Parts: sequence; C-alpha cells; structure tokens
Amino acid sequence: MSVFRAGADALLRPTLGRSLAWSSRALSTEASDVKPPVEADKAPSEIAPIPQKDVVTADVVSGAPAELRHRAVRIYQPTRNTMQSGGAKMERWRIDWDILPGGGRWENPLMGWASSADYMQGTRISFRSKEDAIHFAEKQGWDYYVQPPGAKNIPPKNYSENFVYKPHKLRIARTK
Amino acid sequence: MLRLVSAASKPSSAGRLSRVVCSNCSATIGRRTLASTSARSADITLTVDGKEVTVPQGSALIQACEAAGATIPRFCYHDRLAIAGNCRMCLVEVERSPKPVASCAMPAMPGSKVFTNTPLVHEAREGVMEFLLANHPLDCPICDQGGECDLQDQSMRYGSDRSRFHEVYGKRAVENKDLGPLVKTSMNRCIQCTRCVRFANEVAGVEDLGTTGRGNDLQIGMYVEKMMDSELSGNVVDLCPVGALTSKPYAFHARPWELKNTESVDVLDALGSNIRIDSRGVQVMRIQPRTNDAVNEEWISDKARYAYDGLKFQRLTTPLVKDGDRFVPATWEAALQAVADGLKRSGATGDEIQAVAGQLADTEALVALKDLVNRLGSDNTALDGGRGAAPPVAGVDVRANFLLNATIPGVERADAILLVGTNPRHEAAVLNSRIRKSWLHTGLEVGLIGARADTAYGYEYLGDGARALADFVAGKGTFAKTFQAAKRPLIIIGSAVAEQEDGPAVYNALAKFVEKNKERMLTPEWNGFAVLQRAASHAAAYEIGFVPSKHAAATRPKFVYLLNADEVDPAAISPDAFVVYQGHHGDLGAQLADVCLPAAAYTEKGMTWVNTEGRVQLGRAAVPPPGAAREDWKIIRALSEVLGVTLPYDDVLAVRDRMWELSPTLVRYDVTEPTSVGVARAGLGVLAEATKSTKVSGAPLARPIANFYQTDPISRASVTMAQCTRAFVRGEDYDDAARATEAAFG
Ligand code: SF4
Ligand code: FES
Repeated sequence: MSVFRAGADALLRPTLGRSLAWSSRALSTEASDVKPPVEADKAPSEIAPIPQKDVVTADVVSGAPAELRHRAVRIYQPTRNTMQSGGAKMERWRIDWDILPGGGRWENPLMGWASSADYMQGTRISFRSKEDAIHFAEKQGWDYYVQPPGAKNIPPKNYSENFVYKPHKLRIARTK
Repeated sequence: MLRLVSAASKPSSAGRLSRVVCSNCSATIGRRTLASTSARSADITLTVDGKEVTVPQGSALIQACEAAGATIPRFCYHDRLAIAGNCRMCLVEVERSPKPVASCAMPAMPGSKVFTNTPLVHEAREGVMEFLLANHPLDCPICDQGGECDLQDQSMRYGSDRSRFHEVYGKRAVENKDLGPLVKTSMNRCIQCTRCVRFANEVAGVEDLGTTGRGNDLQIGMYVEKMMDSELSGNVVDLCPVGALTSKPYAFHARPWELKNTESVDVLDALGSNIRIDSRGVQVMRIQPRTNDAVNEEWISDKARYAYDGLKFQRLTTPLVKDGDRFVPATWEAALQAVADGLKRSGATGDEIQAVAGQLADTEALVALKDLVNRLGSDNTALDGGRGAAPPVAGVDVRANFLLNATIPGVERADAILLVGTNPRHEAAVLNSRIRKSWLHTGLEVGLIGARADTAYGYEYLGDGARALADFVAGKGTFAKTFQAAKRPLIIIGSAVAEQEDGPAVYNALAKFVEKNKERMLTPEWNGFAVLQRAASHAAAYEIGFVPSKHAAATRPKFVYLLNADEVDPAAISPDAFVVYQGHHGDLGAQLADVCLPAAAYTEKGMTWVNTEGRVQLGRAAVPPPGAAREDWKIIRALSEVLGVTLPYDDVLAVRDRMWELSPTLVRYDVTEPTSVGVARAGLGVLAEATKSTKVSGAPLARPIANFYQTDPISRASVTMAQCTRAFVRGEDYDDAARATEAAFG
C-alpha cells in the first residue's frame, strides 16, 4: 500500500501535461526510479519522438493490489456546491472509486463510527485536465469511465431586465 | 438611463436579454433600433485587470469579470435569478468612474477598464462586510451553514478583523418565520440579499414570499403567517448565502466537511435531475442538486431533495419467504430456491409467467428481467400502475412516441404549449419551472386540457377531456388560434393519458393534428409532440420493449415477478399465483409476495436511468445497500442460474453490452438522440392507425398524482414527506411536538 502511494504520488505530479517523457521509464522497476526524467525531457533531438501509448507499467511497480484492476474508476469534474457561489476547484478533474457493494462499509459496533474494508474509499486524485486523468488511469491499468461535465449555459444578464416593458398582461408581481 | 429596444426582437428566451441595450453604448444604439439582425450576436470587448475579454453584448460586468477569471465576491447576484444589486459586495473599480461600481448591476461596456484587485476595491469590500456583519449574529458554531457559508468565507477573505459598530440596543433581532416542514428559518442571520424572494417570485411561483420594511428593518416573510407551499421550496436553502434559511430535516445532523459527495441521478420523477448524494458512513445525510443546464439547471424538487430519509425506514434487508401468513427470514440460497420451487409448483408456463416492473426499476435490472422471462418462454413483461399490463397505446417501436422529443431545455423555446392530461408541477416540478420561466420572459401561451391545476403560470383552460381536444383540433377558441399561429408549438401529453378511458382517442386526435401541422410541429429542429413520463423507469422500459404482447396481456399469470412494482392492483393478481417481490421497501408489492428479495435503492447502485427526453444517465452508488440487499441485476442473474436458464452476463459491463445490443442509445450517456422527422412521422402514423377505431366517451382526464409528496415507496416511507403531506396537501399542523418546543422559547 505504501509503495503504491509513493508510486502514485511520484507519478501524479510529473504526469501533468507531459506524458511523452514517460515512455523512457517504461521499464524501470522501482518506484523511486520514476522520479526525475529531466534529462530525457530536455535532450534536444531532430527526430520527433513517436507518441506511443504508454506501456502499462505503473501497476507493475506500484505494488498496488491486483484487485484494484478489477474496479472501474470514474473520471469526472466535480460540480460546484450549490450551497455556495464560489467556483474554486471546479476546473479540476477527479478520479475516485465506486464503493464496494456489500461489505465495503459498516457501522462499527463499538462506537457507531463508519468502518470500511475498502482501502480506496477515501482516495481521490485530482488532475488539471481530463487527459491527464485518463493517462494516469491507463498507466495504472484501471478501467475508467469518463463522465462528461454537465452543460453550462448562463445567458447574459442585465439589471435593466427588471424593467423591460412587456406588451402582454403583467405576468409577475415582484415582491422584492 | 436605459433604453429598450423590444419591437424587433423575437420572443425567445435566449434572446430576451438582447432587447436591452444600455444608453452608454449610444454609438451603436441608433443603428440597433433599425438593424434587423439580432443584437445577441454582438460581442463587446473590455479589459479586466489588464486582461482583454470578449463577452456578449448585454452581459453584466460581473459576468465579464468572471469570464476574465477574476473572482468577484457576491451575495445577491445569482446566475439563474434576476439581478437585484442590493448587497454591494461585488464592488469593482472602473476607470474614470468616481466611485466603485456594483459589478452585477452594471452592464459591461465596450472598452472600459475594470480593476477587481485594487486598494479601493479592497477597502470597499471591507466596508460592505463591516456593514453586513454589524447585525449578523455570531452563530457560526451552531449554524448549519457553517463550513459552506458564503458570508463566512468572504468575511475571512475580504472582511476586516474588527468592527466600528457597537449598537446600543444590541444586534438587530428578527422573528423567525414558519415556512413549513422543509425550510428552517433563523432570520437574525438574514443579510437581505433577497435571493430567496427572487427565487420564490420568479422560479417557484410563490408570489407571496417578499420583503417588508426598509433598511435595517427589512424582513423576509410571507406577509401573513403562512407556509411556503411550493414543490421547489428546498432550493431556497441552497440559495441563501448565509444560514438564515437552512434545511429542517438536516438540521444539526452533519457538517459539510464530514460528507462524502457522490454525483448521481434522481429517480423520483422522470426528469433525471442531477443530484449530489452527500453521505456519511452508511447513511445518506442529504441530497443536493448538481448544476446541469441541459436537465435541471440548478434546482431539484422537494421530493428529490428530502425523500432520502425514506431510505432508512421500511427497508427489506434480508430475503423473506412466506410461511403461512408471515414472512420468515431466509438465506439467499433458500430464497432463490423457494422462487424456483414456487415457479414449478405454480405450473406457470409461457405467458403465464409475468414480470411487472415498477417506477424505480433501473435499466440493467429491466434488461436482465426481460431476458430471464423471455428465456422462460414468456412475453409477459408489464409495468405496474394504470394500464401497464396492457400493450401501451403509443406503441414502443418508435422512440418519438413515448419521449419528450422537444427535450427539457427545448421546452423553453416553445411559444405555445398545450398540456394534455398533465400537471407538470407535480409530474416534473423542475420542468414546470422552465415553463414558468419562459412564460414570464417570452410571450409563451399555455393551454390545458384535463383536470384544472395550479401550475404556477397562467393558462387557458380548454376543457377536461377528449371533447375539448376535438374543439381545439377543429380550431375553436382563442388558444387554438394562438397555437395555429405559433412558430414552435408544443403539445405535452401526460403519461396518465394513456391510462385513461379516452387515452387512445386523445392520442389519435393528437397524432392526426401533428401530422396535419407537420411543417411547424415536425421539422428537423423541432418536434412538437412530447410525452411527459412521470416514472423514472418507463422510458427505459419502453426503450427495451418491456411491454407485453397482445396475447400475453390476455393471459392470466400464475407466476408474478414484481420488480420494484408497488402500484400493482392486488385484485389483478390471482390468489393462487406465486408472487415474488424484488425491491428495497416493504411497501404494497412486498405485502403481496410469497418471496421477497431485498435489493438496492437508487442511492446504493450505479445504474443507468433514462429520463423522459430519452437522455441516458449513469447514477452512482453512494452508500452500500443495507443488510443482505444486492444490486437488482445481480439478483436476477443469480436467480436465472437457479432456474436453469443462466443469463450470459457476469458483470455490469456485460449487461451494458447487452443493452447496447437492444438499443445503442442506452450506452450513450448524457445526450439526447433526436428522432428524425421521417421516423417520427411514421411513428405517429402507426399510432393514428392503431387508435383509429376508438370512441370518445367524454370522460374527464384525471390527474395521476394527487399527492406530490408521496408517489413511490421511498417517499411513502419518508417522515419528511409525510410531514409535507400533512402541511401542504391536507393543511394540517405538521409537527405539533416541534411547535411545542419552539413555543417554550417564544
Ligand atoms: S433569507 Fe437568506 S436568501 Fe433570503 S434574503 Fe435573507 S440571506 Fe438572502
Ligand atoms: S452581488 Fe452585486 S450587489 Fe450583490
């Protein structure tokens, strides 16, 4: 588990936005090897690198339990909490896991708190873009479902709308 | 200051803003009044914090700032409400303006330079904050809004750490109002942003929530002591930027940071409103809307929001087998074996094996059950309620015959709507708010045939049944004339119409009418024939053909499999039939059963739902099902093995592959697939042909939902919904106990 975490952390950050560099470490065997692919990144070359699909390696080295590969993850953009107006963190894409049906969670008889047998229930991973999230999931060998973000369509608004003349019978009595 | 240009513009909801042009753009205004193009197309460019942005003409300055990526604090401005401009939190600095301006009430002007992050702006915001907090109680530790409060967050970020106000008489005190069993008020906390008032006024159609008094004495209330009777009232809890309006059923139950959010889909009506299920541990703590302008904008109905406590009561948690006149808990093996034995004992063969699906059956389970029943040699797949056991009037071969073809956002584009045998306010509350929006802002005319209803918008009442429809079709009456002249006329047919005596006649008349007016009602852009379903499962059931054949409908079943079916008529099930109930609540269906199989409710399974416009959406499980309950399709799959007709899918992806085989649209998520004009016409032709020999009896079209708050097993098990029923439907005192404790404080 801890190895997986280390692997996940290491993979998470550099992945953002530069997926191509990763083919060079496709064969590395240790999570710590995976960290700085800086030289490979910067080496000038006339030959454009072939954008290859990543070899699924991360899950080999990460030490993540094999069962994880049987659980589809969901990739989605969390919507704004309607209780608040702020839109922060709305542009991020998130990966998280469906709950385990059956024994995934139960109420602990000792204190009444929630217990869980699901080691992924508290894990959420945020990405700057959908592509990054998909790339990460592919590399880990996870099946994923990308949930498209909901439609957003706010028409231009104007204060003077409150006073627009309507030719027909008055349809609203404003109580504000 | 403002000049209106309304004559040339078309009445369309998207264009309603374009009618307004500010006089400061006087260079363009002279031309605009004469130009024939819509003003909507015009864009303006301005600079926000040194960054150029282009926004549509007529946008508010706050929208331009947002487009530039600048965060503007606000309390009263809300994307989906009219602009009020009374909190002053959104002040920004505009070049050459002597004072900071309220960016929400100010139109964006071409070429202006706006600054959102200057000392002047900071000082202005701090000042506003100081005023707001002068009378705001220090309730945060005991306030339900804590942790998701705009005032809390914004005072942390923009406020000052001390105040210069020390009221001699203490802070303002305002009496709490009783808005009913859903909305809890704590009016001391109100900052008078009037969002709730505008929502009630414009969206919900409760025109008596309003303000009294001025300045410091302004109060929000219903003027007279009265509850807020609306099926959208829960949304004011979301809108309130402070904790003045909070949720009564959720009061003091959880803090937002303890909750796990799961984005899912509501199934208590057929709209498929997008919801976010907030859970803690194994319990659903609350349900919030999720913004999606293609479906529910930002609103959900009170049933969708507050029926969740029904998930805790009356649940089936373990398989039950009837022994004599009582249910005995059993293991899954024993229960499934009991079903297999029961099937054998009943001697049912072929169409005598009946599967009945209810309102809350998910698509995967429907597909699995249909496959199972078909494999057992039966075609007898029926729906519960009304005439579900008979082949549907409209047929299921063409999707356009049973879907809301105009789509939910499309309803706003209609300029004349005829409602037939439906009260959208109860059958699809959020859709009703869209009709109201369009009715307020455009010249929309609405006509209604069927039982009279309080729809929250004005309508012309045409009559109560097929006779009135005949008059309408013949062009008699003013509304018929309006409808004839409309560019995008829309007929919304309630799902209950098909269940009525005159249903076939009504369908026949409408199919012919649409065919006759096809150049306006059936074009590639517009399909004016819309059926409004009211049960979440029905569109999916029709899509996969979960309907009985003629022969099957005439057979008397000996083995009945009820999948979430609680609207069945007990008299329709013969006493010697073997009945299996699969579902999550011990409601009517379970009472009839010989074996009960416990299944997961919609918050406990990530299944596919098809809404009334044919939009396929994927829900998501938030909490595990209680006890031994399992996902529906898995139960059916397990049963198939015991019955010796193993279904060929082992995981949910395989079920979805099977769904794709049945109808590819079932795995195309979040889109509506329009039916082409040719196919839709063919469908109407089939419909008209099938119903042509029906007689009009003149019976009135009854309304299907008498009590909006209790329509399905979940809401019937919910205490909150029971209180709403008492308060709003029966007009009784909903909670005497709480009154008594409140009186102790008074
Ligand atoms: S009750 Fe809430 S939403 Fe209504 S005016 Fe007061 S602060 Fe605003
Ligand atoms: S948000 Fe502009 S005045 Fe309230």
